[in-house]
Amino acid sequence: MQSLPIISINLWEMLFALLNLLILFLLVKKFLYQPVKKMLAERQATIENEYKDAEEAKRKALSDKQAYEEKLSGAEAEADSLIQSAVQTAQIREQQIIAEAKEKADGIRRQAEEDAKLELRKAEQTIKEEIVSVGTMLAGKVLEREMNEEDHKKLIDSLIDEIGGEYEGHK
Amino acid sequence: MTKTSRRFKLVDTFYIVMMILPLLVGMGIQVLTKPQSDGIALTGARIFFTIPMPIQNFPVTESQINSLLVTVTIFFFCLYMVHGISERAKLKRQLIAEWIVEQVDKLVHENMGGVFRGYAPFIVAMLALSAVSSLSSLIGLFPPTSDINVVGGWAILVFILITYYKFKCGPLYYLKSFTEPVALLAPINFLSEFATPISMSFRHYGNILSGTVISTLLAVALSGLSALVFGWLPGLFGELPWFRLGIPAILSIYFDVFSGCLQAFIFAMLTMMNVAGAYPQEEHEARKQKKLLKKQRKNENKQVA
Repeated sequence: MQSLPIISINLWEMLFALLNLLILFLLVKKFLYQPVKKMLAERQATIENEYKDAEEAKRKALSDKQAYEEKLSGAEAEADSLIQSAVQTAQIREQQIIAEAKEKADGIRRQAEEDAKLELRKAEQTIKEEIVSVGTMLAGKVLEREMNEEDHKKLIDSLIDEIGGEYEGHK
Repeated sequence: MTKTSRRFKLVDTFYIVMMILPLLVGMGIQVLTKPQSDGIALTGARIFFTIPMPIQNFPVTESQINSLLVTVTIFFFCLYMVHGISERAKLKRQLIAEWIVEQVDKLVHENMGGVFRGYAPFIVAMLALSAVSSLSSLIGLFPPTSDINVVGGWAILVFILITYYKFKCGPLYYLKSFTEPVALLAPINFLSEFATPISMSFRHYGNILSGTVISTLLAVALSGLSALVFGWLPGLFGELPWFRLGIPAILSIYFDVFSGCLQAFIFAMLTMMNVAGAYPQEEHEARKQKKLLKKQRKNENKQVA
């Protein structure tokens, strides 16, 4: 078998090598570069999307948090005002109840006083009548003397008034 | 799921087989066609057959066959690397593919600038073809890069690219570039234009061939040495070149592996430098803008008229 000398220039062999390199370039471009580049671009897009989503979620969470905090502080204020108003109504009510109780107690006392006065007067009357009757009886028995009705009454009334005046003076 | 994954594995296996098969075919051709008693001789690529062509006949040699086989191997390697590629890298090989693409992109961007971004796959192809061709000598093939015609063809392609970029600003600007910095230097500039592809091709080819030459010389020397040391042993023990076992492998780490990869890298670097350096970017952009302005002015004039 023949072989080329170590250095030999052949145009066609050079052209062959040139075309070989060009073809390999096209193959590498089509089957290695483009798929990898496409995949890298897709990955880049996915990563950017993920970042965007994450940022959006974060922003949303922050705004939610703020809203909740606002709500929470509002609720606290509301509770405070509720308690305050409750305390106020309770105080008003307390005063009302106390006033009512006082009134009631006053009423009861007045009634009792009136009752007592009435009783006293009644008792006075009864005592008066009793004394009259007793006096009459006593007078009749002791004096044994007949007296007309009018003198009799006058005498007793003066007696009672004397006693009553003494009583009033005591009082 | 199992069906698809089985199919996936089948395709994977097919790609791997197709990656290895060309190299095995090359080895088979080598075994079948290499004459047994070739001895130790330095020759170029062996000619399988010759195609009659105008100007010069086209001898189809080992370098052509082997570079085709290497191309097929690289092609199936690419297919294997991007097979099952997905956004969430599920396969380890995808990381390697991404690494290759990103590294070469970075290299091209650093050495050539953003305008030449499209050159990245070309550089990958050049690196891969050169490196795998040189490394094919490890499995006993004739490395196509040790043939001046192969590397010369690549260098011519680079020369065409360089000239194309120099012509970007018109032929007059191209001719004027020879007279810089002084008109006296024009002949030297003209020569240096052709020196670029020649120096590139000879550098690459010479480095790979020198590895082969040194390996051959070493083989001869070690054969002689073992004949001297073990020659007195009876029968087969005396005939076998014992020193050629293992020792050449150590040297081939430098001359085949390191040198092959390094020369591929150097060739790619020089391509990038020369092509990027040939493009008068500022001048070209300035001219573009001038043309745009002229066009606009013309349009305005038309509108006024």
